[in-house]
Amino acid sequence: MDRYSDFSIDDFVWDDYFRQWILSPDKNNTIFWNNWINAHPDMVEKVERARAILLSMQIEEPEISDEEINKIVKRTIAHYNEENSNIQKLPHRDISLPFTTWMRFAASIILITLLGWTAYSVLVSKKEKSQLAQQETTPGKSYSVVEKINTTAHTMELILSDGSHISLAPKGRVRYSEPFNKERREVYLTGEAFFDIRKNPGQPFLVFANGLITKVLGTSFRVNASGDKGEVTVEVKTGKVAVFAQADPHVFKKLEDKSLQGMILKPNQKIIYAGNEVKMVKTLVEKPEIVVSVSEIPKFVFEDTPASDVLNTLGKAYGIDIIYDTTLLKHCLLTAVLEGLTLHDKLDIICKAVESSYEIVDGQVLIHSNGCKN
Amino acid sequence: MKSASTNPEDLLLWQDFLDGDVQAFERLMSGNFRLLFRYGCKFSRDQEFVKDSIQDLFMALWERRANLNPDAAVKPYLMASLRRLMFRTRLSARSCDEETLQEVEYDFCVEFSVEEQFIAEETTIARTRHIQELIGKLPQRQKEVVYLKFFQELSREQIAKVMAITPQTVSNLLQIAIRQLKQGRKVAYMLVGLLHLLLMR
Repeated sequence: MDRYSDFSIDDFVWDDYFRQWILSPDKNNTIFWNNWINAHPDMVEKVERARAILLSMQIEEPEISDEEINKIVKRTIAHYNEENSNIQKLPHRDISLPFTTWMRFAASIILITLLGWTAYSVLVSKKEKSQLAQQETTPGKSYSVVEKINTTAHTMELILSDGSHISLAPKGRVRYSEPFNKERREVYLTGEAFFDIRKNPGQPFLVFANGLITKVLGTSFRVNASGDKGEVTVEVKTGKVAVFAQADPHVFKKLEDKSLQGMILKPNQKIIYAGNEVKMVKTLVEKPEIVVSVSEIPKFVFEDTPASDVLNTLGKAYGIDIIYDTTLLKHCLLTAVLEGLTLHDKLDIICKAVESSYEIVDGQVLIHSNGCKN
Repeated sequence: MKSASTNPEDLLLWQDFLDGDVQAFERLMSGNFRLLFRYGCKFSRDQEFVKDSIQDLFMALWERRANLNPDAAVKPYLMASLRRLMFRTRLSARSCDEETLQEVEYDFCVEFSVEEQFIAEETTIARTRHIQELIGKLPQRQKEVVYLKFFQELSREQIAKVMAITPQTVSNLLQIAIRQLKQGRKVAYMLVGLLHLLLMR
């Protein structure tokens, strides 16, 4: 532990763990170094100097503006995005050099104009279409708009024409057409509801709630748009769900597409969408559940098992990505009985046992560890 | 300083990219562009060439996405691919007769600045400057290892992937480099001390 006590300033400057503390401090290394410095008051000056050197030593990096990056990315994406266009792949640099940048520039202008034009025409036709759809629904020919409001104090069960189930929470309200539009099944929600959707990849199911669109092909999930701040949360129980904002510039493409686009949520993941901030935060549901079938549920009993294997088992059972450093954790052996505990309790125990910590980042579990020395 | 270790968000994005998600393409490319640009500029002063190379890189990846590893360490993989692509382009430009494909001579230019607001004393400033000079004097490969390790915070394995060498070679290069950096310091330290003594007289 005390290999640091005869360190010189240079030794500190080039020491991994010391750098880590100065440049990307976290709970573990901060505790360690604060304790160490308290125990070695004579080293304070060296530590401070090393810190100053590290902080001041910066690399002169060439700058590139966000706008320029954006421009190049858009230019690259553009010809993949436009599937049915007659634009060929960008000319590669076989042609003499001074021309290419110029030509690319010109091509990108043409592309942008084209894209803008198609987007415009799609938008216009959409508007016309939706107006048509409304006209169709109001006279009540073949379509009728159904609205259900749950004024009771308990959950209301609804069965839709396609066999999907909606459990509407008290004060919740849903609106949909009966039967559904051929292209897609659309439901408008206020309040909270749990959806169990009959699978039909050819006819995606969409939930509109407070500016957030949840798109699925067939899964079960909960949408809560009952908060008074306009916040929406979506929690996935089974299957995959895509969410995107109604204000998304590519919203039509995402709606039209038969595949799932946008931010994808997997089981046990949850998204919090704060409408006014146009920001989505992915996290885990409060009580993640095991997603594999009963027969596949592993025994959460481990004996001298590498922590990496334990985490792997856990990740599979809960269908969650657990990110860790395999090389560090495979040497940490674990003996524990974790049956009947929640995921968070299990993680707590594992982390305590192998002296690490975890956090939930972007709907995934991130394990911080310094490994086990033995 | 930005860390370039694999973060989960990148991996998810990478997998969406491989699934053919254009949105993911856009985010992956714009999210990594600056890092790649900076790294690429270490090999070439021609910034337009670096930008073109990054564009070519992403187009090539997109076209080959069905055959790519979904569990790749994203940043190191992108950096390694860019490095390879730039070397290859430069080779073919130079009517590739003199060099073998394996190891091309290259320049790795890192320039430093000293952010003096962090430093109270003159001696520490001088010291920082000196360290930077020493890094500048390292052979190219050592310099690149030091850059990736200490300024991009890549792990030994990741550096090995980026530079297409074995992790053991990475360790060796690093060890030699650090030894030189520290030794150089000691000599300079003695000189400063000597000067100090002389001036005191």
